[in-house]
Amino acid sequence: MSLSFKPIRPLLQTGTNSLSRWFSYIGLGIGVLLLLCSIQMYINIQQMLKGGSIRKDGFDFISITKTVTNETMGQVEKNLFNAADVAELKSKSFLEDVAPLEANQFQVELSAAGILPFRTNLFLETIESNFLDTIPPGFKWEVGQIRIPIIVSSDFLEIFNVFGPSYNLPQVSQETASGIPVLITCHGDGDMEQTFQGQIVAFSDRINSVLVPKNFLDWANLTFKGKRSEQSSRIYIKTKDANNPELLNFLDQKHYKVNKDKTKFGRMKQVFQGIFSGLAVFGLLVVVLALMLFSFYLQLVIARSKDSLRLLLMLGYSPGWLSKNVSQRFIPVYILIVFTALAFTQLMQWAFHHFVMYDRPELSTMVNWIVVLVALLLILLSLATNYRLVKKLLYKLH
Amino acid sequence: MRLRIQQLLPTYFEQSRTQTSGVWGKELLFEKGELIKIVAPSGSGKSSLMNFLYGMRNDYNGVIRYDEKAIRNFSLEELARYRKDHISIVFQDLRLFPEQTVEQNLEIKRQLNPFHPAGKIKEMATRLGIEDKLNSTCSTCSYGEQQRIAIIRSLLQPFDFLLLDEPFSHLDDNNAEKAMKLMLEETRLRNAAIIFADLERIDFYPYTRLFHL
Repeated sequence: MSLSFKPIRPLLQTGTNSLSRWFSYIGLGIGVLLLLCSIQMYINIQQMLKGGSIRKDGFDFISITKTVTNETMGQVEKNLFNAADVAELKSKSFLEDVAPLEANQFQVELSAAGILPFRTNLFLETIESNFLDTIPPGFKWEVGQIRIPIIVSSDFLEIFNVFGPSYNLPQVSQETASGIPVLITCHGDGDMEQTFQGQIVAFSDRINSVLVPKNFLDWANLTFKGKRSEQSSRIYIKTKDANNPELLNFLDQKHYKVNKDKTKFGRMKQVFQGIFSGLAVFGLLVVVLALMLFSFYLQLVIARSKDSLRLLLMLGYSPGWLSKNVSQRFIPVYILIVFTALAFTQLMQWAFHHFVMYDRPELSTMVNWIVVLVALLLILLSLATNYRLVKKLLYKLH
Repeated sequence: MRLRIQQLLPTYFEQSRTQTSGVWGKELLFEKGELIKIVAPSGSGKSSLMNFLYGMRNDYNGVIRYDEKAIRNFSLEELARYRKDHISIVFQDLRLFPEQTVEQNLEIKRQLNPFHPAGKIKEMATRLGIEDKLNSTCSTCSYGEQQRIAIIRSLLQPFDFLLLDEPFSHLDDNNAEKAMKLMLEETRLRNAAIIFADLERIDFYPYTRLFHL
């Protein structure tokens, strides 16, 4: 027969100071609710703004161009970045790295290999691979290879899908676009021309361009134009903070143009995530305070039941068993509090998804599994802190 | 299962006590099956000795070993097991839960390591004449009744040694003899030993060894 806590229960004076117990329960409920809602909102933002971020590994990646003015119009070299400009940018402490987007020096033409009646002049660019969001495994080229992997800006596909219907062209999804083989014809001096098979291996949210592997473009520039690209019209910069006033001042001074929408978009996401991280920290703080308040209540219960508990220990009751059972008494109420908070978080998520986001597919009506995991961890945390506290107090009684 | 005491002396006693006492400062070995009687006048450290043996106080010099392990070094969990399985006590000051009924007091001890079924509580209470008190709260019982409750409580668990600290101080001879008889029966049932400390010798306790504290 196992040892029962039932005859022991009346020896604990739990009825004392129930006000502080209720305050701690309410505090815990509010804290847990705040914490869970903040985490859920943080995840919502992450899911909604998954694309389009200019941030990767804690850095902003933004493109700059030279502003074409009436004075510089027609003077190509004044509107392009040369080696000296790149060196100057590289020397700035507020920039982590600089990479020019090298462009094709020859003419390029793209057609959809007879699948779509579509033909256009095109440009190709290349950039150092660490400036790419993700490098797809197939993004490689070797001399002699007919297939060229290309990364296309997702904006281009969007533009195509906007004007496509008016030209009787079908709208295509990212998956379909990746499957369409395109022909890339490179024209050199004289009648020199060669056709390659292009395949879209990825879409980039960050770089508005058609990117090919660097060794292909270097080879093609040499082969078709006889020279490598020495100047570039766009430069990508990697910086810790795209809104650094020093950086913005420098860019203004040099009349460099920044893609501001993307920096603002990234900044907005950062701000929102910052707000919800702050709220989550605040929620955690409330949880800690509530647990502390409850610990005062527990201390009081044990102080008032001190004589009985001491006698139980004297009779041979194990302090470990007693601590476990005393703290277990509060398991149901803790589970109830955390699950109520979880239910409210679920209600909030449903309302947010349904009424605010109009059931957008990138969000879920259900709370994220991480939120449920945090809720379970909170139950464990509260039980563990109670157990440790009771055990410590009982050991002191001995 | 043996209790060995070596050069035991409370820290608050002078060394000279060891010269007159049969226990303090001596090396003694108590074994199962023995009936030990310790006669001690007031103030000679009777309750201290019982508390030391029960592991409740450590303010002594020397060593007390149970099964060759110094009980001073027991962890709290080991101490709990020692009290639950190997040693039982009737405190001089009884130590009952005043707001619980007699039966609840006894059940709290019995369920810890049941040596007897629950029905035995009533049987023992009947033998000691307190069966009609089982549902009363302890605080309403007389001191003599409380003493009998404490005695029954000590007999509801398994033990190798039963420590008695003036267990009959509030009982008349008739009730004391009944209680002693019950304790002797229960001790024999476990092939255990009794260490009985009192102010004077008691006729109905057939001790095998006698010490003067």
